[in-house]
Amino acid sequence: MGNLKVIMTDIEGQTLTFEDVEEGVSLMELGKQHGVAGIMGDCGGGCACATCHVYVAEEWFEKVGEPDDIEFAMLDMVADVMKDNSRLGCQIKMTPELDGIEVSVAPASSV
Amino acid sequence: MATQIPEDRVSERLELTPDERTLLAEGTLSDTQIQARPLAFYRAMRHGDPIHYDEKLGSWLVTRHEDISKIQSDPVTFSVKHGYSEQQARGMREEFEAYLREHGGGYFPDAIMSDPPYHTRIRKLMEQAFTAHRVKELEPRISEVVRDVIADVVAKGEGRCDAVKDIAVPLTIRVIVEQLGLDHGMEDRISRWSVAVTAQIGAMQSRETMLENAAQIAELQNYLIAKMKEREANPREDMISDLVHAEVTNEDGSKERLTFEEAVSLVRATLIAGNDTTATAIGNLFYVLTRPGMAELLESVADDERQLNRFIEEHLRSEPPVRALSRMTTREVTVNGTTIPAHSHMLLVYGSGNDDETVFPEPRKFDITRPNLGRHVAFGGGPHRCIGLALARMEVKVAAREIARQMKNIRLAIPEDAIRYTPTVATRTIESLPITFEAR
Repeated sequence: MGNLKVIMTDIEGQTLTFEDVEEGVSLMELGKQHGVAGIMGDCGGGCACATCHVYVAEEWFEKVGEPDDIEFAMLDMVADVMKDNSRLGCQIKMTPELDGIEVSVAPASSV
Repeated sequence: MATQIPEDRVSERLELTPDERTLLAEGTLSDTQIQARPLAFYRAMRHGDPIHYDEKLGSWLVTRHEDISKIQSDPVTFSVKHGYSEQQARGMREEFEAYLREHGGGYFPDAIMSDPPYHTRIRKLMEQAFTAHRVKELEPRISEVVRDVIADVVAKGEGRCDAVKDIAVPLTIRVIVEQLGLDHGMEDRISRWSVAVTAQIGAMQSRETMLENAAQIAELQNYLIAKMKEREANPREDMISDLVHAEVTNEDGSKERLTFEEAVSLVRATLIAGNDTTATAIGNLFYVLTRPGMAELLESVADDERQLNRFIEEHLRSEPPVRALSRMTTREVTVNGTTIPAHSHMLLVYGSGNDDETVFPEPRKFDITRPNLGRHVAFGGGPHRCIGLALARMEVKVAAREIARQMKNIRLAIPEDAIRYTPTVATRTIESLPITFEAR
């Protein structure tokens, strides 16, 4: 049991707070474990499907950093819902620096 | 996380034309003509009867994108394990099994074609080998292989080849041979084995062809088992060694070795699953490139990674190699107004989902600027989404880039209506594609 905090808002607008997140756990894994609506993580954390897309709260984005080319290529496949603060949850692994991070789950790509 | 399918949602049915009504009443996916040119049949089902019972095939065909997506996210109601084993060697399973027990070292049920929670453990074990970052590391070496295969064909100087048999098939086989650590020079055998394994879910075998295919699969298994025993004693840097020595982690953190039977099934699945399908995607690509404007479009994006990725994704949407995969209901369930009895066989028709105009407007237009490309279902979706998707994308991308660099003026060397497709419900595969071209 860890002691890091994550605040995650699901696609239905419900905000969940997790206070016992372990270091190294990805936001996708965390969301999937708790059945957070909108986090599917189909590919299992391989940065290959864009079903764990989150928007990182502005004040946290700098700490999280920009997606790399591989992650950007996946986000580009859901371009209609991609924003400047988009990341894939599987690529954000919890560290003490991210203690308290706030993200909201992005909606599925639409028509 | 498995979500249960909502049963109260019903979306609109559309009025069919008289021709469409006839097609719906008389058509079947077991008809090889429809298999080869299926879009009108898909459209008639999608509009008028989106979850259509194909009587001749004995399967419910799920054709709307929304229904395919919903069903995929409920792996408990819609079982892959039962769907797959029902489809395998349709009606002749027992004989097929007995043959492999006698001649093929055993019958090894596909560990990955299973349901949660068992599936979750097996899947987790395989995922590390296929992440997009891991695949990126493989790209330089695979580019080299692809470059060589195409260069060899171009160097013959004849300006003609069979794009499927001379390029697409040997290319994907060479890649998987390297990854798994198999022997080189086995292209023909592996190609035959792949066809035999894939035929088991194609629903088109006679008893005679089933037995021929079973003999191929027995040969494949005997070969793999020998390789696996070798690696058990002397591990190397390859996927066979990884799988032979793999451990799965249980939920309580305890570890367990894969059984040998599981490992055989996973090596076999890795060899076959990504091989035929990726070759199909590359074969289709050659065909697509003979259409007006397509070679120019590819050329214009070949050196732009982002646009090339989009080109490949749109190609996979527009010509999905896997046409349809199986599920089986574990209870009576109502999906989008259609009630399906328990223990019914279903096919999720990806070819139709990707052509669904409510998700992809003007679906026959090849449009690399679609903002929702990632929604296509060429790789399926949900917990059974294709595990090798990043590798497949990369292979097709690298092939496209090399084609653009080495070949030009690609033309069909046979009339369009002479193109033959493999008789199967599972994939839409061009068997042979004679082309002419010029070297660049």
